[in-house]
Amino acid sequence: MASWYTDPGSPGSRDCELVLVPLFSLLSASIYQQTLGTTTTYSEQDLIVALKERNNNAFSYLYDNYANALYGIIKQIITDNHELASDVLQEVFINIWRKIETYDQTKGRLFTWMLNIARNASIDTLRSKSYQNSQKNQELADNVYKGTNNQTTRLNVDNIGLKKVLEKLKPEHRILVELAYFKGFTHEEIAELEGIPLGTVKTRIRNALLQLREYLK
Amino acid sequence: MNVQEYISSGIIESYVLGLASEPERAEFEQKCAQYPELLAARRAFEKELEQFASDHAVPPPVGVKVRFLEAIGDQSSRDRSSSNQPKIIPLEKGSVRMHSGWSRFTAAASVILLLGFAWMAYQFYSLKGTNEELASTNAYLRAKATTSDSILNQIIVEQKVVSDPNTTVVNMVGTQVAPRSSANIYWDSTSSNVFLVVKNMPKLPSEQQYQLWALIDGKPKDLGVFDATNDKVILKMKNTLKAQAFAITIEQKGGSPSPTLQKMQSLGKITQIQ
Repeated sequence: MASWYTDPGSPGSRDCELVLVPLFSLLSASIYQQTLGTTTTYSEQDLIVALKERNNNAFSYLYDNYANALYGIIKQIITDNHELASDVLQEVFINIWRKIETYDQTKGRLFTWMLNIARNASIDTLRSKSYQNSQKNQELADNVYKGTNNQTTRLNVDNIGLKKVLEKLKPEHRILVELAYFKGFTHEEIAELEGIPLGTVKTRIRNALLQLREYLK
Repeated sequence: MNVQEYISSGIIESYVLGLASEPERAEFEQKCAQYPELLAARRAFEKELEQFASDHAVPPPVGVKVRFLEAIGDQSSRDRSSSNQPKIIPLEKGSVRMHSGWSRFTAAASVILLLGFAWMAYQFYSLKGTNEELASTNAYLRAKATTSDSILNQIIVEQKVVSDPNTTVVNMVGTQVAPRSSANIYWDSTSSNVFLVVKNMPKLPSEQQYQLWALIDGKPKDLGVFDATNDKVILKMKNTLKAQAFAITIEQKGGSPSPTLQKMQSLGKITQIQ
């Protein structure tokens, strides 16, 4: 039998505390966060320091300032499922919290780092088996209940932000950016899919990105 | 290197957007450290990108932030469970926040989590117990298998000796000192191998051992010592080419140069004509 209710001081009861303590602090932490608002403002430098110290107020601030921008990106990739997109957003922030030590300022701005986490998490979700299955079910349901309307709604959702800018690109450039950035295919995979040489894929994507940058301004 | 050319190759955009390959990334990072203008160009694009993203920001559902903060509150308290003194927040009566759906949800979720943890811990401890039991049973069975194997091997050897037509069997019978002592000698006169099978020999104090002798023309020849513990298992003794009889005596541990005849336990004469 397990040693759940042994005398205090026995090894079993110490193990038991280890499980219980975080639970109570979880309860108190959630009360704490709901009662106290966060009012501090940070410079990017101070913010990074506070984040690396795992300061919860700093993470709250980070969320307030970047969640919308990141959610915008996530929704560019996960276009058709709001609930899933918000789950991914939550996962992205938890990943930021987990990996903040590995963030290296010399390699890029904090936002760039977070943007890449958001993009990777979104693509991983799109590629996950459970999503693929739900997608099949969804399409089936759409076909049954909505009929041909499905196509128009999807176009509308797509028609925002980066994707709108993307439409300004030449079609042969657009498809490559679509596959590489929004679907997460490697250059090698794209070369195979599109039947064009790897070198061409690389230059076309780079040229497309340079053009995109002009449209972003 | 022409930095301007490198900048206009699209590497910056490709790097920042996470589309550059690993070697391209490494090269770019190294060059950024080397050329300040490259670094400045990278920063400029990063700022543009951030600006664009915030211009096209989409507000997420309200619940996400609460769930995120709860998740990290949980994990950070687990990380420093002992060093952090819990803050005491007085609960106001009728506080609106405390009655919000989220509070109820978190309270319910906590209870479910608690039960979940309890269940997992129970499973963990009972599985741990089972695992330990299985490990000790396994060790026991393994030891038993090893012993059985060695006994079996000895039986096989014994069987070979016994069934060999060249082997002479000498039945050792107890003397007056030890009427119940008995053993068999299997003596292969061609190879001169001598095997002994203890049938019944009383246990000896630890400082004593049995010693086997061959009697050749009235003179004893030492054939080695043995203990009574290897009951009914065949023992390989020293070889002898000749023998008219075999005798077993009790001697000091390690054996004596000549037999202590008053302590002779058993004697067997060879009946077969050599």
